[in-house]
Amino acid sequence: MTSQIASQVLDPPQRPADEEEREPGRFLFSPWHLVLIPIAVVMLIPMVWMLVTSLETLNETRHFPPTLLPHTLRPGNYTQVLRQAPFARWFLNTMIVTVVTVLGNLLFCSLAGYAFARIKFFGREVVFVLLLTTLMIPFQVIMIPTFIIVKDLGLINTLNALIVPNLANAFGVFLLRQFFRTLPVELEEAARIDGASRLSVLFKIVLPLSGPALATLAVITFLWTWNDFLWPLITIYSPNTMTLQLGLTTFEGTHQTATNLLMAANVMSMLPVLLLFFLAQRYFIRGIASSGLKG
Amino acid sequence: MAQVALNNVTKRFPGGTCALDDLSLEISDGEFLILVGPSGCGKTTALRLIAGLERATSGTITIGDTTVNGVSPRDRDIAMVFQNYALYPHMTVYRNLGFGLRERRTPKREVDRRVREISTILGLDDLLKRRPAQLSGGQRQRVAMGRALVREPKAFLLDEPLSNLDAKLRVQMRAELKRLHAKLGITTIYVTHDQIEAMTLADRIVVMSAGQALQIGTPQEVFARPANLFVAGFIGSPAMNLLRGRASAQGSAETEITAGDLRFTRPGVPDGEIIVGIRPESLVPVPADATDLAHPTLDLEVDLVEPLGEQALVHGTVAGSAAQSGAEEEQAILTEAPSRAPVTAVLPAAGLPSPGDRVRVRAAEDRIYLFSAATGDAIW
Amino acid sequence: MWRLRRITESEHAAGWAFAFPAVCLIFVFGLVPVVWSALLSFQRTNLIAPGQWIGLANYKALPHDPLFQASIVHSLIYTALFVPLSVAGGLLTAVALNRRIRGIRIYRTAVFVPVVLSTIATAIMFLWLLDPNFGLVNYLLGQVGLGPYGFFDSATGALYSIVGMTVWGWIGFDVIVYLAALQGIPQSLVEAAEIDGVRTWSMFRNITVPLLGPATLFLVVWSSINALQLFDEVYLLTKGGPGTSTYVVVYYLYSLAFSQGVAGYAAAIAYVLLVAILSLTLIQLWVGRRLVYYAS
Repeated sequence: MTSQIASQVLDPPQRPADEEEREPGRFLFSPWHLVLIPIAVVMLIPMVWMLVTSLETLNETRHFPPTLLPHTLRPGNYTQVLRQAPFARWFLNTMIVTVVTVLGNLLFCSLAGYAFARIKFFGREVVFVLLLTTLMIPFQVIMIPTFIIVKDLGLINTLNALIVPNLANAFGVFLLRQFFRTLPVELEEAARIDGASRLSVLFKIVLPLSGPALATLAVITFLWTWNDFLWPLITIYSPNTMTLQLGLTTFEGTHQTATNLLMAANVMSMLPVLLLFFLAQRYFIRGIASSGLKG
Repeated sequence: MAQVALNNVTKRFPGGTCALDDLSLEISDGEFLILVGPSGCGKTTALRLIAGLERATSGTITIGDTTVNGVSPRDRDIAMVFQNYALYPHMTVYRNLGFGLRERRTPKREVDRRVREISTILGLDDLLKRRPAQLSGGQRQRVAMGRALVREPKAFLLDEPLSNLDAKLRVQMRAELKRLHAKLGITTIYVTHDQIEAMTLADRIVVMSAGQALQIGTPQEVFARPANLFVAGFIGSPAMNLLRGRASAQGSAETEITAGDLRFTRPGVPDGEIIVGIRPESLVPVPADATDLAHPTLDLEVDLVEPLGEQALVHGTVAGSAAQSGAEEEQAILTEAPSRAPVTAVLPAAGLPSPGDRVRVRAAEDRIYLFSAATGDAIW
Repeated sequence: MWRLRRITESEHAAGWAFAFPAVCLIFVFGLVPVVWSALLSFQRTNLIAPGQWIGLANYKALPHDPLFQASIVHSLIYTALFVPLSVAGGLLTAVALNRRIRGIRIYRTAVFVPVVLSTIATAIMFLWLLDPNFGLVNYLLGQVGLGPYGFFDSATGALYSIVGMTVWGWIGFDVIVYLAALQGIPQSLVEAAEIDGVRTWSMFRNITVPLLGPATLFLVVWSSINALQLFDEVYLLTKGGPGTSTYVVVYYLYSLAFSQGVAGYAAAIAYVLLVAILSLTLIQLWVGRRLVYYAS
């Protein structure tokens, strides 16, 4: 059903609410544009402004009234950022952490989600409820003890500190369990009668049919991990081990007045997520809508 | 309460599909008119145009004396019952019934009076405090009707209101609807794909196909004098038997008609390919010792018998080839013998034949219909 | 024969084997810390040396801590502004976006994009946008005779600036949820209401809003929980300042545990936050059950 929601949210509604739009194209100009254009402008202006600033010289940024179209374009700002800070390093770190976390989640949440969905085992209901309760606990409550655990494991200031605690998250287990339960169980039963083991059934039958759910989980996990700030802040202190968000804050600290460079750094940090968004918009929407259904 | 009329209405959807093609209809004050036809024939579109939920591409729609083409649904003084009832799920039955009246600023006391009046007529008095989710299908349907009727509209539109009910309830509600219309006398326009509903309820029927009205008439007219092949095949259950045949005038006033083994004459039929139609109810068995072969007869080779109590449906084949009316729901499964045509007869249960038997059946001449194979029009 | 036996073999081992990695990780990093945090709150510890037990002393100290009081007030003000603005704003925007006109996808995308940006990136963007001297917003305000404002530099304005910025960043989330809910309203219901004579505002008030009840409840609960956890933006933009005007609970918690090494006290605060969030959620759900109509 969330796939219907994803397409509904992205595609225009089948039958429009208002009369003028019963036949689009009949009216070239709907009055709603007057409302929607300012909204779109407000939403986009900060990014446009950031982009423009990122291409200006420092003097131009100081220009008041501000110019929306700079005289000169300085893409060199971007290379300067890369030289002045271990930006590429931060990017790589974040990419490693995110990809590993996503893959780990896909694997572990699939296994667990399948078990909770299809395998009757001792304590299944109790354990599942406990998992769900972890979703209600705000991170700040557990952050200090988690820090201690990670410290005792000797992982502080390594990328593992960011990966290990997040390799499986309860939301993913919940999401996949719900999804697996919507698949017809007869398919799996037929495979098992044919002699397939549970593991085979999961990997050869269930997962191939779970594309959308897995994609949604991957996209949501990617977004969350890429944007995470508080946990890296606590566990990482070496500049070379930092993630992008963390690195950005230190960059901001040292470049407060070099706003053009700061904006260039900001733009670069946004690009991967924006790219993923435009490629996988459907799955972002689905993930958000499904968390709405869960609520 | 007024006349409703559609004048040369065409409706083309943005994708290019033509839902209605130059349709003209007039509905008299207080009449119960039913639009009937297979899915996609345009009947629901016609209803929605009258309601104002769609706009006509060309042509005019009038309610009373006013042309209402550009008028929004809320200002047309019509009421509609939707196929899925569309009751406000978060409101009680009482509020559902009174909502339209309150929106039109009717004083509270008047609203209460009218709601209670309708609720009594429809038997909803005990349900007024419930929500739609707590009602059965039949009850919801009555609330939907009540909501429409309480506004005393000029026209009462119904879009397949009985199709979501189970068979027994459907029959019961049909009778209720008929009684309601007799009592209240509101101009009613009703859409269904079920021709039995159409026949039992309507003052007049409009048989539609592919956006056009193929015939408009009383149920009896449409049944006994179908204007074309489609209407003949659509109305009546089981469907009319259709055989391909030939008409050869041979110069005389009486044309000889042949279709398979069937042979008879009829005056005034032009030469050419024709289609012969006989309703299953019109076929009667020829007694074995009958010598009077005045009526046209068919030799029916029985292959299936469906008992129905006092009667039975006897399916079999006769010599000749079958014709299609265009109203078939699905392609008929080919018989094993392509040179034979399937025929169904409704025969009394006494002395039923068995599969494999040969039965002779005949029909009265005035119960045999002729249609032009080229145009499908009836030949009288 | 042996195939049958395989199927009837104990499922418990398989079930546990499958579930173990995720369950283990989630319990270790998600459940155990909850209990541990409670234990910490009864200690005095700096996370390096072993802690000392001090019983309820941390909790007793809380009401006397002016910075804690201030943090709570700021968190509550922030939540009280953020939630209605983003939820109501989301609803109105979703209604505006729920139509079939040319370019609607562009408008929707424009509204959705800010949701995927990180809190830090958004904060940096707004830091510049609201710059007191050279920012675009002050320039535009100046054109209509207002400002200039200090925004993040102003003790009175900083918290509200954060409200504005985060509403911008999150409204798309509310829009997505509301759009999905709006499109779940059956078209026949809207048509029936039109025929009944319902006009635009009445349609919105009597049909649309009640039917969106579940979505609204979810968004209010969700937004409240997130609002009470405000941190990243404060860390980057104001560090709790100017003065202590933007000290929020989580920021205070963080600085206590990781800057000042007062982790036991911080854990106590975290537990208070947990209780606050759970209570607020329960109250909202209870009120919601009574007001919100749920489709069967």
